[in-house]
Amino acid sequence: MIAAVIDDNYERIKADLVRLGLTYERLMDDLLDHICCMVEENMEEGDDFESSYNMVLDSIGENRLPEIQHQTLLNLDKKFQRMKNFTYIFGLSAAILTIIGSLFKRMHWPGAGIMIVVGLALVVLVFLPLYFITSYREQTERKNPVYPIVGYLTLALLLAGASFKVMHWPGAGMMLNISIGFLLIGFVPLYVVNVFQKSGKERVYLPYIVMLLVGIACVVLISVVNMSKDRLDVYIDGALANEKQVELVEEQTAGLLQLAEDSAHLDQLATITRIHNQVRDMQVMVTGMQEGMIAFVGQSGVTIEEIKGKDNKQAGREAMLEHGEGSAFIMEAKKFAAMLNELVKDPAVRAQITDHLEFTSPVWDYAYNGVANSPLVVNYYMNTDAAKGIALAEYTAIAYLLHP
Amino acid sequence: MIANDLLKGTLRTIILKLLADNGRMYGYEITKKVEELSTGKIKLTFGALYPVLHKLEADGHIATEIEYIGKRVRKYYALTETGRSWTAQKVDEFFDFVNTLTYVLKPTPA
Repeated sequence: MIAAVIDDNYERIKADLVRLGLTYERLMDDLLDHICCMVEENMEEGDDFESSYNMVLDSIGENRLPEIQHQTLLNLDKKFQRMKNFTYIFGLSAAILTIIGSLFKRMHWPGAGIMIVVGLALVVLVFLPLYFITSYREQTERKNPVYPIVGYLTLALLLAGASFKVMHWPGAGMMLNISIGFLLIGFVPLYVVNVFQKSGKERVYLPYIVMLLVGIACVVLISVVNMSKDRLDVYIDGALANEKQVELVEEQTAGLLQLAEDSAHLDQLATITRIHNQVRDMQVMVTGMQEGMIAFVGQSGVTIEEIKGKDNKQAGREAMLEHGEGSAFIMEAKKFAAMLNELVKDPAVRAQITDHLEFTSPVWDYAYNGVANSPLVVNYYMNTDAAKGIALAEYTAIAYLLHP
Repeated sequence: MIANDLLKGTLRTIILKLLADNGRMYGYEITKKVEELSTGKIKLTFGALYPVLHKLEADGHIATEIEYIGKRVRKYYALTETGRSWTAQKVDEFFDFVNTLTYVLKPTPA
């Protein structure tokens, strides 16, 4: 009797399921039978077909069927499942590589930088995109691509910034700042909205947000925090030692210049004077930048030893890059290196000079870009180092020209 | 009622074990049986059931037989040979897990 009534309404139930969004034939058979059974059970308790059926339909809810179908198809999608497994295994290996790299870095073993950069690059370029794509595809309700995209950009920039920072590459600070911006004005508000929309249904993962924020705060702190006093003092000692050495070398050079003028080395005098003038120009630039830095922290006339604000990070940027002659100085120094290279024929002496002027080599251009984010004393020290190199190169070159 | 997140990982084992004990079953029958055995504490919705059944079938652990009840197609699910040994293994794993949890969660005597 009941079975007959249901049979009569079979096509209608099927049509309703299609209307509710069920299209996968194999699941249709299952759900049709299941729903018929539920209706039957209600009818056995005395309800008529209409009220039983409506009750069952109500209990199913609007979006439930497409959701079940989506889940079933994803479960069956071998490629998708493989992609998911691959994602996790890949993420794990990349993370392990990064951690080993960090360990190497701590122990100052070679190869640390490469491992960290490759590990983080794999995380940023392979794992994170795959992770966000798979988890997005698994979602059934409130699919909103903005959420994974913002999440990806935040994490990617954060990790890239961290690896740039580790490698002392330029742009690290900028990346970290942008990612923190993303985090604060994009990711966190979106996440909170998402949590509140879902509240009641899913657990609120507020602790994770808090943890995330604390993590970010640590990163910011580490990048902003002053260099430890001991290390700053080491730079000052280095700078003073350099300055002392420059003085000594200049005295000796002055002796050589005197010799050149007094003796029969007149043929070399023009060249030697050219070298000396070039050196003087560069020394003026260096002194200018150093005074600029000290002036920036508002203490002109004070020596580097007594200075306050040794860790000021804007000083170098201002005095060397933005309003200073940092780039011009490097250009001049490169010209100077080329000039000496041409004048000095002896390869051994030439190697010595190249060594003194190491700061003009391409590798050092990176260091010069680092000026923007280095504390005042570090930049000051770098300048004294350059000045020392120039003085030594000058002495070596002039000595060579006088006694080839 | 048993919370859904506790149930999530064990659903597959429950279904396999039921099929092992009862031979072939259809979907609705499985949900009823789970409710009965758990004295109403576990309510298996079809939304949770069918994705798992289809996955188990695709992996070759269970197979289907079709019967017609009037116009309706009724799909019976039963374990395959590989499914049978896999089930035994999964059930063992589960008891292992429960025993371990009991040790961990049991209040220690003072």
